[in-house]
Amino acid sequence: MDSKLGANNKVADIEVVIDDDVAMSKNEQNNKKIEVVGIYDQFVSTTLANFHAGYFRISLGLSAQVWLWKTLVQFTKDSHDHGLHPVLMMLPSTASTLLWSLALVVLITLSILYALRCLHHFDKVKEEYVHHIGVNYLFAPWMSCLLLLQTSPILVVPSGTFYQQITWWMLVAPIVLLDIKMYGQWFIKGKARVLAKVANPASQLSVIANFIAAKASFFMGWSEIALCFFAMGVAHYLVLFVTLYQRHPGSNGVSPKLRPVFSLFVATPSMASLAWSTITGSFDITSKMFFFLSMFLFISLVCRPTLFKKSMRKFSVAWWSFSFPLTLLALASIGYAQEVKHGAAKSLALSLSIMSMIVSLALTLFTTLKVNNLFLTSNNNKSQS
Amino acid sequence: MESSEQTNSKKQDGAEIPTLFTVISSKEIQGFDTMEGTTDKITDTGIQGSMETKMNEPSNDSNRIQAISISMPSSPLRSTTPKKVLFNDQPQDMSAKVVPHASPLSKNTPESTREAKFYSQPMPKATTFVEVEGAPNQYSGPQARNPHVERLKDKRYDSFKTPWSGTLERQLSQFRGKPVEPQEERKPKEPKDGEALSVDRYYAALEGPELDTLRPQEESMLPEDKNWPFLLRFPISSFGICLGVSSQAILWKTLASSSSIKFLKVSPIANLILWSISIALVVAVTIIYALKLIFYFEAVRREYYHPIRVNFFFAPFIALLFLALGCPEEVTKDLHKSLWYVLMFPFLCLELKIYGQWMSGGQRRLSKVANPSNHLSVVGNFVGALLGASMGLKEGPIFFFAVGMAHYTVLFVTLYQRLPTNETLPKELHPVFFLFVAAPSVASMAWARIQGSFDYGARIAYFIALFLYFSLAVRINFFRGFRFSLAWWAYTFPMTGAAIATIRYSNEVPNWVTRSLALFLTAVSTLVVTSLLVTTLLHAFVFRKLFPNDIAISISNRPPKSARKRWFQHLRHGSSDTKDIDQYLKFVNTEGQGSDLEASVQPPKNKSESVIF
Repeated sequence: MDSKLGANNKVADIEVVIDDDVAMSKNEQNNKKIEVVGIYDQFVSTTLANFHAGYFRISLGLSAQVWLWKTLVQFTKDSHDHGLHPVLMMLPSTASTLLWSLALVVLITLSILYALRCLHHFDKVKEEYVHHIGVNYLFAPWMSCLLLLQTSPILVVPSGTFYQQITWWMLVAPIVLLDIKMYGQWFIKGKARVLAKVANPASQLSVIANFIAAKASFFMGWSEIALCFFAMGVAHYLVLFVTLYQRHPGSNGVSPKLRPVFSLFVATPSMASLAWSTITGSFDITSKMFFFLSMFLFISLVCRPTLFKKSMRKFSVAWWSFSFPLTLLALASIGYAQEVKHGAAKSLALSLSIMSMIVSLALTLFTTLKVNNLFLTSNNNKSQS
Repeated sequence: MESSEQTNSKKQDGAEIPTLFTVISSKEIQGFDTMEGTTDKITDTGIQGSMETKMNEPSNDSNRIQAISISMPSSPLRSTTPKKVLFNDQPQDMSAKVVPHASPLSKNTPESTREAKFYSQPMPKATTFVEVEGAPNQYSGPQARNPHVERLKDKRYDSFKTPWSGTLERQLSQFRGKPVEPQEERKPKEPKDGEALSVDRYYAALEGPELDTLRPQEESMLPEDKNWPFLLRFPISSFGICLGVSSQAILWKTLASSSSIKFLKVSPIANLILWSISIALVVAVTIIYALKLIFYFEAVRREYYHPIRVNFFFAPFIALLFLALGCPEEVTKDLHKSLWYVLMFPFLCLELKIYGQWMSGGQRRLSKVANPSNHLSVVGNFVGALLGASMGLKEGPIFFFAVGMAHYTVLFVTLYQRLPTNETLPKELHPVFFLFVAAPSVASMAWARIQGSFDYGARIAYFIALFLYFSLAVRINFFRGFRFSLAWWAYTFPMTGAAIATIRYSNEVPNWVTRSLALFLTAVSTLVVTSLLVTTLLHAFVFRKLFPNDIAISISNRPPKSARKRWFQHLRHGSSDTKDIDQYLKFVNTEGQGSDLEASVQPPKNKSESVIF
């Protein structure tokens, strides 16, 4: 690449000497165009090549944060019993709108990047589709979209209209298609693609996607479809949970760099509890049980920091895996606190929310500081794992 | 070879080691290479030769010489041959290559001839300690160096003692007026953590449905023919007795207080008596085990790493919960709520550790270690939920119920699958399978308490328990031929639990079918407990074998030499070593076995993973 540019420069230089001014400017323009094209080519060949669906963890984390902020605002408005810290009472809704816009912008950027990647490196996209960990992150854009749709402050998409329904279907259809592909593969395809071999903690993303779709359907007003999505999610969650507990080989199935995806264990029951509480209308005993399971898994992971030691050495996009589950857990704890109305539950909800906000903030800071590392460097990923 | 050995023997003559050893060692080497015969003492092995003259010399020196063993192809290591001599180098070999445990008296040991001896033939380890002839081979490191027989007795168990317990013991014995022995430097065994206590080592060395029988080719670190100190013989499964008796107390309490059985007019005295007995038992067993923890920490550690015994570490907490559940009305009407938190907190910590082990994989992942005793880890959740709900708590019981339910599902599916990578499932029926009945029956009772009535969820769980119970009961024929062990007490509490659940169910659905079922199950469980009590007493006082030597904790850290010899040795020894070959292959491939399923898929995944993520 560089040599090419250099050669062009040399050619241009010679031509500058011989020709007159007009030709020179034209060649300079050509030169600039070639440079621009060169930069674009470099961009394509390095950034897009390394950009993978896992980057959507960022949008997932941010969308969940938006949801948390909205819920907190709602919670503080509802409970005026001064059980919460006064600072949180001052949380303005405009802040959540800003966050929503930020999340939307990030999502759109990432989607454009991924679309470009499909354009230029379609073979890599196909590779991802076939990879047992990568395919799960194909759910992520649609999940983020659905979350943002639910929490949109201004009615970007006016409710009750055909427009909204179309948007919703457009978002849910890919989830359904991916579901059919993945789950069908689990129990139909034998030999190399057996669930016992391909199961990994990231597969829980498909289950979470079902639960989010269930919640979104209820938001749209279709309770039967919501129940349908929930049933699919729960059935496959059962299978996946057992499989992961059974033969999760730890270091064999997931590389040490990807250990943060273990935190998805916490996300799935929390999302199940939230979906169920939406469907039944209240945080009943089933939701409580899911929430407690999620708390137990969270404590269990927190007690094992050595599990994540290797992956925390260098900043990578996998670190964003921590934000989403923590946020979901905080949301579920808020639901629980609303139901139980006990002081301890409220303080638990508060502490979890603050923790998730701090984590997301830290991750955002890290990402902005190290945008270079994440997006623009070429060969680092290969050398690390 | 021989010249070097002779020089070696000369060198050893000059050392402070008694000549006994040097003479033997040189002869030993010759015996190795030439396959010469042995003395009359070892003619059992069938080797003829001119060893006799040479052997007689050392025997004049000391009474303690035993026959030298020259291993023969057909003699298994545990044959009837008499004791073999252990010459000086070998324990050093062992410790360097086989058993890393440091013996207290490691004197100068010539290194030169080791290689030759070590790899030539499978040499069963021997002791110098005079014992009954025909006793199985044993290895005991410290003995080789300590010429004094009396002191050997204590030294053998040193490796299992807690480091500072020695000073405690000395003080105690001083207190009691016993003469204090000169303190040898005692180095308790300090295995490197991963090395000695890997789960694979337990599987390789032990067999049997409770993983407590030593495989034939394995050796125990402690002498098998002597009775070990009582504390060393006291396994954690003794807490099973507490479980069995305290669940009986709950049964009789339920019988006395439930409405559908009122016609029997069972007096609450039965509950009081049983409860007092169980309190006494719990206190006694706890004290003894605490003593074991203080004095023999290494043994406790090894029990903790044993894939089956680890589940019994939940048993003390479950027993305490049972005590709280079976508390008679006369003692206290209402137990304080904080008691529940106090009881459940250590339980929570323990289960965080154990379940986390299951989840994060590695060598203790569930697909490998799942066995019916794991039910003990899960049932405690339900018992805690039941106790909390009967105390009136709301959220805490639901928490433990949820956690228990999730992990029970995983365990249930895993056990039903009988995965090929699972090494601990007993191949035939064994009383341990009754533990299957425990979780659903207690879960049904807990759910009924949480919900307030015996609703559908509780009934579903109850019917599952009933089904499992009957499917095991009709196979009663197959529960035969098993050695009695203390752990059997732990298997009685599921039967009692099923009886209690049936009584509660009959309260809800009172008709003659449910009542007769309740009475029948109660009778069965009481009968079983009584017969078990009789058997226990029999073993305790008549056979005096209630606490046999706990082989499961005395496995050596590395497999015996024979399993690790070079493959070409097999060529020399043909037939007998098929077992050794199996052992060798098993040891080598144990790690590979688990990853075989992924082997075909692994490499490309790793590559693409590195590229993409």
